[in-house]
Amino acid sequence: MNSQPISSQQLERIRPSDLPAPPREALRVVQACTDPAIDNPQLAELIERLPKLSAELLRLSNSSFFALRSQVRSIAHAVSLLGHRNLRNLSLCLAMRDAVAADAIPGFDLEAFWEDALRRGVAARLLAGEVGLDGDEAFTVGLLQDFGLLIGFYLRPDRSHEWACLRPLDPEARLQAERTLFGMTHAQLGQTLARQWALPDELNEVIGLHHAPVLTDLEPHVQSLCRLARSADWLAAVYTADDSRGVIRRCRELLRGDWGLEFAATDALLDHINQAMAEAAQALNLPIAHQTGLDEVMRAANLRLAEDNLSFQEMTLELERALDERNRMAHELERELTLAREVQCSLMPRREVPRGRVIGVNHSARRLSGDFYDYFPTRNEQVWFAIADVSGKGMNAALLMAKASSLFHCLGKVLVDPSMLLATLNREIAESAIRGMFVTMIIGIYDVHSGRGKLANAGHLPALQAGSDGAIREFPAQAPPLGVLPEGRFPAVEFDLTAGELYLFTDGLIEAEVQGAPLELEGLTGLIRRERHLELEQRLHRIMDAVIPASGSPRDDLTLLAVDLTTLE
Amino acid sequence: MTHAEVNLDRGYAVVALQGEIDLYSSPQARELILGCLEEGRPTLVDLSAVSYIDSSGVASLVEGLQKARAGGLAFALIGVSEAAMKVLQLARLDTVFDVYSGIDACPAVS
Repeated sequence: MNSQPISSQQLERIRPSDLPAPPREALRVVQACTDPAIDNPQLAELIERLPKLSAELLRLSNSSFFALRSQVRSIAHAVSLLGHRNLRNLSLCLAMRDAVAADAIPGFDLEAFWEDALRRGVAARLLAGEVGLDGDEAFTVGLLQDFGLLIGFYLRPDRSHEWACLRPLDPEARLQAERTLFGMTHAQLGQTLARQWALPDELNEVIGLHHAPVLTDLEPHVQSLCRLARSADWLAAVYTADDSRGVIRRCRELLRGDWGLEFAATDALLDHINQAMAEAAQALNLPIAHQTGLDEVMRAANLRLAEDNLSFQEMTLELERALDERNRMAHELERELTLAREVQCSLMPRREVPRGRVIGVNHSARRLSGDFYDYFPTRNEQVWFAIADVSGKGMNAALLMAKASSLFHCLGKVLVDPSMLLATLNREIAESAIRGMFVTMIIGIYDVHSGRGKLANAGHLPALQAGSDGAIREFPAQAPPLGVLPEGRFPAVEFDLTAGELYLFTDGLIEAEVQGAPLELEGLTGLIRRERHLELEQRLHRIMDAVIPASGSPRDDLTLLAVDLTTLE
Repeated sequence: MTHAEVNLDRGYAVVALQGEIDLYSSPQARELILGCLEEGRPTLVDLSAVSYIDSSGVASLVEGLQKARAGGLAFALIGVSEAAMKVLQLARLDTVFDVYSGIDACPAVS
């Protein structure tokens, strides 16, 4: 079963047939309600031809939750009493309620989903009443704002069991969890559906943008609805979140900030939500579980707090046990990291080449490094060498480093052209790198007899060649790093090792602080010139010693590789 | 990073980053940039007040670029500070990003 997140390309490609079938009859009424050419008698006639919808609309109009001024006797009466806009909203609520059948997502608790949606609708309606906005419109927004979540599980039914983990989260944490689960939020999924079903524009915008960080470019009315939706989300979460105390605190602050409500007014509103749930559920014909009152929620939260504070001794014991567990896990982690580091070190070789020498030195700031170097002779008297630096640090950088390193090693056995090898490596890395991670890399190959070769630099710091006259030649990057874009060319340049040895290094080396200031490229070339009288391996260690702090722990990974044609006498 | 904010200007979401964008501050920069793109907004990242950017910060910009390309959205860097430009140029990333002196120099949002 496919358990990959839904990518944005996939989202673009979602066809109407992938989504639940729209309840066409109700949507036809929704569209007719917004058509200025259709008058009241025509609208009533259209609805009367739909017996199920007529019956539901009559029940809704006469429910205590919507509490119209007089008893509604017929659809024609409902049309004139409610008006086109309210009728549209009620039809929409009914349409969406029926859009996903009870058995469409195996293992998904659809009743609980609609209960939470209803609570948001009720919360939005009550809040609208407090702040002078249209209650029926607010109810529609609240009820439908998180419809995208249902679509997420509809498209990924294999994840339906995760709903139980999402439900007790607060709205912010839930949004994060959705990104992990689906690769996107319910807002994006909901907006896709709203577009496909051609829902009214302002509802489409509210569904898509009610969690947006910036709302200022929206119509004032849509802005209000987005704020209302956000507030309703937090208000409703009081009844489902594990951390109900924390959510109540956030509600009070949010409603004071967005609507100027006093804390007491927010508390009263929270209390009313629970009371109005039964009426709303009856009106919409939605089954709901027994509702826990705010008093009960608060009592449970306080009880939890009291229990947490009780038995200090028990807590101390628990803490000691937790510390033991932590130490055990830290020890295990340490062992795993040591093993990982050993694997990583084995990727950076110390081997002979047929003529001359290649020597690499690596000091990692963390136990796992994002740097690597490699070199190996080929069958036809050539030597490949490489240095690379993966963006970021830690485990993810180390894993990408391992991938880049093994790909280089494999490709180097079949390819002899640095441009072609980097282009292949780039495509492989671009396909799998996540979070914008990239690899800067220099690779080169030379003939052991002539000393002549070619190197290509993808976004890495320049390679340096130290001439016998003391001049330093630079080989700067000719192309961006690997993994940024899947396509691209990686031009190679020629070098001749008989003119002097090559130095390749990572940015940790030139950013290392020496006497209070970064070494920089100039500092490194100065060190190379100063230590050139030393034998190559000694020279590299002397350069490293100059930049590694006395504490022995550099800020960044440091790697230095030298390629030299002269052999140790 | 000392501060970061998002403003809307001429149809673009403008994410203004400040100070040092490193391993510790780049997650916030990433969140803001991706948030704007997830909303389907053409996005500019203002780097005029960035004093230092490391590879994790650059990765946040690269991820923004990749996401924008996948979604067919405009994405560019504006007012790139000298320090940030040096990093981009060394890695030849200035050839990958659209870079403008400021929002006035950016093409109008279509």
